[in-house]
Amino acid sequence: MTILVFIQSLQERKLKDAQMRATINQKLVETGERERLKELLRARLIECGWRDELKAYCKEIVQQKGLEHITVDDLVTEMTPRGRSLVPDEVKKELLQRIRTFLAQQSNM
Amino acid sequence: MSSTGCQHLQAYKAAGGKETFRIIYSYFVACSSADARHKKAQICKCVVCGDYRPRLHACLSCIYFGCYDKKHIHQHAEENKHHLAIDVSYGIIYCFVCGDYVYDSELEELARAQCHRASASLGLKQKFFPWEPSEEELILLRCNPKRRRVTEASHIGLRGLINLGNTCFMNCILQSLAHTPILRDYFMADQHACQATDESQQCLVCEMARLYQEFYSGSRTPYIPYRLLHLVWTNARHLAGYEQQDAHEFLIAALDVLHRHCKEMNGISDSNPHHCNCIIDRIFTGGLQSDVTCKRCNNVSTTIDPIWDISLDLGPGSIHSSHLLPSATAAASTAQTPSTGNTGANNGSSGNSSSAPSSLPFASADITTHSPSTSFTNSPGNYEPTSLVECLKRFTKTEHLGNSAKIKCSKCHSYQESTKQLTMKKLPIVACFHLKRFEHSTGYHKKISTFVSFPEELDMTPFMSSARCSNGFNGQVLRSRIPTLTCDNKYSLFAVVNHYGTIESGHYTCYIRSLKEQWYRCEDHLIKRATAGEVLNSEGYLLFYHKQVLEYD
Repeated sequence: MTILVFIQSLQERKLKDAQMRATINQKLVETGERERLKELLRARLIECGWRDELKAYCKEIVQQKGLEHITVDDLVTEMTPRGRSLVPDEVKKELLQRIRTFLAQQSNM
Repeated sequence: MSSTGCQHLQAYKAAGGKETFRIIYSYFVACSSADARHKKAQICKCVVCGDYRPRLHACLSCIYFGCYDKKHIHQHAEENKHHLAIDVSYGIIYCFVCGDYVYDSELEELARAQCHRASASLGLKQKFFPWEPSEEELILLRCNPKRRRVTEASHIGLRGLINLGNTCFMNCILQSLAHTPILRDYFMADQHACQATDESQQCLVCEMARLYQEFYSGSRTPYIPYRLLHLVWTNARHLAGYEQQDAHEFLIAALDVLHRHCKEMNGISDSNPHHCNCIIDRIFTGGLQSDVTCKRCNNVSTTIDPIWDISLDLGPGSIHSSHLLPSATAAASTAQTPSTGNTGANNGSSGNSSSAPSSLPFASADITTHSPSTSFTNSPGNYEPTSLVECLKRFTKTEHLGNSAKIKCSKCHSYQESTKQLTMKKLPIVACFHLKRFEHSTGYHKKISTFVSFPEELDMTPFMSSARCSNGFNGQVLRSRIPTLTCDNKYSLFAVVNHYGTIESGHYTCYIRSLKEQWYRCEDHLIKRATAGEVLNSEGYLLFYHKQVLEYD
């Protein structure tokens, strides 16, 4: 019984979180903040060499498989894990900080 | 893969799809209006599962959003025979018949224009698009098939310079300038359009352009910079002759002549000298903020002066302090006054100072009203700094001006004791630090040979005006609270000028960085590889740092 209640509250929590995420996303899009964050992220990833490294890796994969036999999907599958793992922690922190600041300014949420 | 898409996309375009594409793009990919952003925020989620995360696609034939990862858009495409969809994050088109993304140059052009509008609407900088050769450039590339690849082993851009008789002070500066990345790019891109074609022999900027051509020609014999020397002699008379000169003084004189020649050639009016956008000013000019706080009423008067370099005291310093502060009294009108911390007034005298041995660390006569000032100094406290960062901390520290240097406060309308603080308002692209190893005080001249350590990577954030405590009461630079996440104010060392010997006679050499981590030691005609450790352990006199991140104008 207790376990059922626990699962139920967990599910409620999950649903709430999802709603919150959706609202935050909507706010970010509406205000254009999402674009600003994207620009910042783009700049930071270029600065730290992430872009160059991934580009080189991308070229490597294309050369290995041959241009004719590769699709964007293949590339995405191969690149995503590495791309994610290579994002420097400072960049993640900075972005998180920016999102926090943004949310703090949104009083009507 | 072609740039005209697949046949399905061609058919779509032929049936008037271009306009649909444009509308979808401007509402759901790159929004250029608040209305569009609002709509995007409301509608942009998968019709099936409500997900809004990346790889959401919009159907190009009807109003439908589906996620790609869970194949919801695939289902829609198959059921409705709507074969084309656009990725709302990246704006690229997927063809479900071909099973891959397709590219069409015409649509891409539309997309690019919309992206421009979108970033403009948010006040963002224009998106960066990588260079693609134009038709004309393609022809040039085909006609010149030889490519030179820069590898770790290549010596590209390295060339010795013949010493023309005690001209090592010039050679080390020329090497430093020749290896200043952004200045090199300017000259190698042939950006200097000399207006005075018949007088190009007289233009130092043209002569510098020639120097770059010579450095990158691949020739390995040392270059003889006699024309350049002659031009400097004719334009900065105090440097003429075969005596030893101060490399710092030469640098400032060279920048000044280059700046003047750029201006003459570009026909920029002298009326607003500090908004000069010649290449020298764009690269070397920083803004130094001076805040003078009245001790009685705490009124702060702020001036911002353009500077080309930062001169840092190495000695105990206290002997200078009473002579500091050029002209902060008349705060509003002093923007053009060159200031010097020199005790012996040599203002205006360097025109005939060629008899002075080795150096006059303060070039003054040529730093007239139209050039950014040099040799700002600030040296509160009486200790000897042992690192560049310490020097900079001292440079930006609040200084009590004392009883003997009362300043008229614009608020109290009376002469009051005050404090002064210097900070960087605007950072230059290339920061040149001058360690004042040559001390000229009344009665004696000496060289300070203490080792001053300097880093390969320097963060200027703590020395910025924005880091200054804004309450105006203590005016201390707050260092601990500044987040170090951003690399906007970070610099990399790329050249170091060293002086060996005494104040009377000595020799200049320099270290320059050519590739990312490849250092070379240049001694007139000799160039040899060096290690970063060697560079950092040398007795630096002039330190050149290059900004790591450049903003687009």
